[in-house]
Amino acid sequence: MVGLATSFGSGAMTNSIGELEGAEVLLVTGSNTTETHPQIARNILKGVDRGAKLIVIDPRKTDLAREAHIHLALRPGTDIALINAMMRIILDEDLADDLFISMRTENFTSMRDYLHRLDLDEIAAVTGIDLHTIREAACIYARSCKSVICYCLGVTQHTCGTNNVQAVANLAMLTGNVEKEHGGVDPLRGQNNVQGACDMAALPAVLPGYQALTSPEVRERFRAAWSVAPPKTPGLSLTEMTHSGRDGAIRAMFIMGENPVLSDPHLKRVQDTLQHLDFLAVSDIFLTETARLAHVVFPAASFAEKGGTITNSERRVQLCHKAIAPIGNCRSDSRIIMELGKRLGCPGMDFESDAEIMEEISLLTPIYGGMHYDRLEGSWGLQWPCWNRDHPGTTFLHKYYFARGKGQFTITEHQEPKEHVDKKYPFTLVTGRGSYHHYHTATMTRQSRRLVREYPEALLEINQADCDKLGLREGELVELSSRRGKVRVKAHITDRVQPGTVFTSFHFWEVPINRLTIDALDPKSKCPEFKVCSVNLRKVKND
Amino acid sequence: MQDVMTICNYCGCGCGVYLRVKQGRVVGSYPSKNHPISQGNLCSKGWHLHEFIHSQKRLTEPLIRRDGKLCPASWDEALDYTAKGLRRTQEQHGSDAIGFLASAKCSNEENYLLQKLARAGLQTNNIDHCARL
Amino acid sequence: MIDLKELILAKDNLIPLLRKLKKEARLIAPVKNGYGDTFFTEISDLDTTVIDLDSQPQSSLKPFLLPQQETLAQYTIDKEEYTFTPPEKEQATIYFGVRSCDLTAVLYTDLIFSKPTRDSSYYARRNQSLIITLGCNNPFPNCFCEATESGPYLEYGYDLQLIDLGDCYFVSAGRRKGADILERWGYFFREVGEKDRKIRYQLFLESRGKFTRNVQVAHACRRLQQHPVPETIWEALSRRCYDCGGCAYVCPTCTCFSVDDMPLNKTQGLRLRSWDACTSSGFTRMAGGHNPVDRRQHALKRRFLHKLKDDLTLHGKVSCTGCGRCVDICFGGVDITTFIHLITAAEVP
Repeated sequence: MVGLATSFGSGAMTNSIGELEGAEVLLVTGSNTTETHPQIARNILKGVDRGAKLIVIDPRKTDLAREAHIHLALRPGTDIALINAMMRIILDEDLADDLFISMRTENFTSMRDYLHRLDLDEIAAVTGIDLHTIREAACIYARSCKSVICYCLGVTQHTCGTNNVQAVANLAMLTGNVEKEHGGVDPLRGQNNVQGACDMAALPAVLPGYQALTSPEVRERFRAAWSVAPPKTPGLSLTEMTHSGRDGAIRAMFIMGENPVLSDPHLKRVQDTLQHLDFLAVSDIFLTETARLAHVVFPAASFAEKGGTITNSERRVQLCHKAIAPIGNCRSDSRIIMELGKRLGCPGMDFESDAEIMEEISLLTPIYGGMHYDRLEGSWGLQWPCWNRDHPGTTFLHKYYFARGKGQFTITEHQEPKEHVDKKYPFTLVTGRGSYHHYHTATMTRQSRRLVREYPEALLEINQADCDKLGLREGELVELSSRRGKVRVKAHITDRVQPGTVFTSFHFWEVPINRLTIDALDPKSKCPEFKVCSVNLRKVKND
Repeated sequence: MQDVMTICNYCGCGCGVYLRVKQGRVVGSYPSKNHPISQGNLCSKGWHLHEFIHSQKRLTEPLIRRDGKLCPASWDEALDYTAKGLRRTQEQHGSDAIGFLASAKCSNEENYLLQKLARAGLQTNNIDHCARL
Repeated sequence: MIDLKELILAKDNLIPLLRKLKKEARLIAPVKNGYGDTFFTEISDLDTTVIDLDSQPQSSLKPFLLPQQETLAQYTIDKEEYTFTPPEKEQATIYFGVRSCDLTAVLYTDLIFSKPTRDSSYYARRNQSLIITLGCNNPFPNCFCEATESGPYLEYGYDLQLIDLGDCYFVSAGRRKGADILERWGYFFREVGEKDRKIRYQLFLESRGKFTRNVQVAHACRRLQQHPVPETIWEALSRRCYDCGGCAYVCPTCTCFSVDDMPLNKTQGLRLRSWDACTSSGFTRMAGGHNPVDRRQHALKRRFLHKLKDDLTLHGKVSCTGCGRCVDICFGGVDITTFIHLITAAEVP
């Protein structure tokens, strides 16, 4: 998000989901779209069936990769090298959009000079893909004026995640595939309201609507509305908080509807931090692994028991409706926060409805300026930016000008992942969402018998060649160890992963894979490197 | 049976889904045909969206840790206890010793309120959520 | 043989007639909601609710007769003994504005749930139901009921069938319950004239000419009877099946279900029956992990062969009713019409 914001001035999907169907070239990178965003994959495949070209960049042979015209199965962590090579080829083939570059972007000259210094054969070797295939992909992408890039956590969850994203943005700007319907750069959001939580500034360094914490004008507006000004210094990011340690800077926490004990990297440190807090309050619908550590647990109402709005990946703010009364003695999170706010003397915590909260949001957040409940009710929502009551919302971003004025080319250099394979840890572990049937830490999906039946337990995806070496058969237990910890998991032999790489998900508490993952962060986005860590595998002998 | 339009709780696609309610229980999920995303179909998670709502494992009472164990408590007790806990930390270690995690699974309004509570109520910018996970 | 009457109902008399019928039973009819989606909905007030007879209801009668999740019984465990309490009695219900395809589907489901033993839960609802259909003068864009012989008009199976003749409905009774209505509320109707019959026949012919999809069901069935389906077709289809189950859930004739116990507390719980789909791999996985069906090759094989081949052998009729609900909703673009096109186009080995 930081990456895209630097390049374009705004870190959200530039297109709408429905526009993907009409694109001529779809470049999907670091996203297992058919499993994690089925509706987006549906639009991509519709496009493919109509004749669009599909290029997939992914070390795994995902279901979408099987449908691709070109699958670039790169070595994990070499995205930047690959994209730089594609850009260089586009320049060499004279396929860059010179008019767009000169009118709409800046810093291109240094970018061009940098690209000309690259040695393409060397890059091809780094990525593990032959140059001919890279060239083919680059030309297909650049020749169309309706090219879309979709990316997901496979691009961002690296120590160089921000640079990865900027590389993607560079590629799009080089060919002028940014500011239009059916052409753009689309980060796919993992959870139902990630976009909204970011928009609402559940982030340490901005105010709602990505407004600067430091701007005197903005601060004054918030001071007037809240009767106190927000603090000036940026706060700590999630991993900085959950990794602050036994005697770290964080002494008390309030966690609403999250399960960092299972979802965060290097979870031993997370547990250690949370266990030693002076005070921990958790609000959730289930007694999660995190809630078990709390001093106070609030029973929250589920989505079916409350209203409010959520914002999807394409910036569409949609209204939810209450279907049933909160079960048992549950209360909605907004009620819990307001009750707590009143007790802590926080001003302005007496909202009577979600609509009244939205009124305050739209007053203080320009991109949500026209979001009013009466407009959202009975409609399919509005896509931000929506500046005022008369504004129809925005289906695609950056038309005529970028949110930051001109698009910025940022030179991105290939950077090796933090951890390398070596004799002791010869395999690369990639983690992510592993199943079509589960969601995040699976606190909800594992309550559904059908979903559990379809995907009952964690599996380690491993290539046949590696299994042969280890003497491993389908369904046998493997011990997976890294420098930080170990877990046991059942092997599933598949050609989805290449030899030397293994993959598993973080859905199952029985296999807390984040005991193994590295806590190296991207310095700007603070995104952890979930996609590359070195591990060793050992077959577990039956006793 | 009553159909209530809401938005799916799972991924970032944001499908329009009808929850089918019968005698106070959600007994079905059905896609909207006209909704621009769902267009008449849901993924397997979406079709089984209703199944966790009435799970017996749902939390239904506030809990407070007493002698190392989480025990049922009243709302007032739990809220007072939390306010006191946060206040004490603020007094002893300063505002920036408190951290808030908001949620990508909660509504905009709830996220807004929580960051307001952090920023206006406890004067800290230590608020984040799992966007990157 | 009952006297299967035919009468004419002036359009102005429709609501007054429904008002009478509603006094003795729950009335369910298609209603367009605020979002433009049409569903079968219980009508509480005929004066404020507009019945939508111009759109295809998004779901068939399946959610009513075989709900997505139904309580078969409530159970109590006392000293390891189970006691079951059956659910409340079903209400008499009139389904109005049902399309030919959906009625055909109900008749098929009747058959499925009657063998080997009558499913008491299904028949508790079915026996309480009265179905009034509306013949289709204007097939919807995805429809192909003509090819599956389940529309646009029907010859039998309905309690009452209405055909829109412009300013009136041509009403035929197909079963005793329907004939009773015509008898009891005879003063709402007038006799059928020769002209009415002519218009009805004309409309029928016109309607048959209005189908926009050419789905060669009969041709496909012949192919399936004579030749095995090439494995490459199964694989191509399976590769595009992402296991959402949507095709089975929206299908009016898909009746697969599974039964689970859902505990409410330590001693009580609900025995639930819910929709299932044969396209899921867990559907055939055996204890011990072996799965006789490889999803990567045969995810859709059972579904399509069951509908177009097995049921033809068993019941003499395909169990696809051409309602078109599964068309266009498949994430991978592989619905039953794709399959029919593929096998009719494939060369005979």
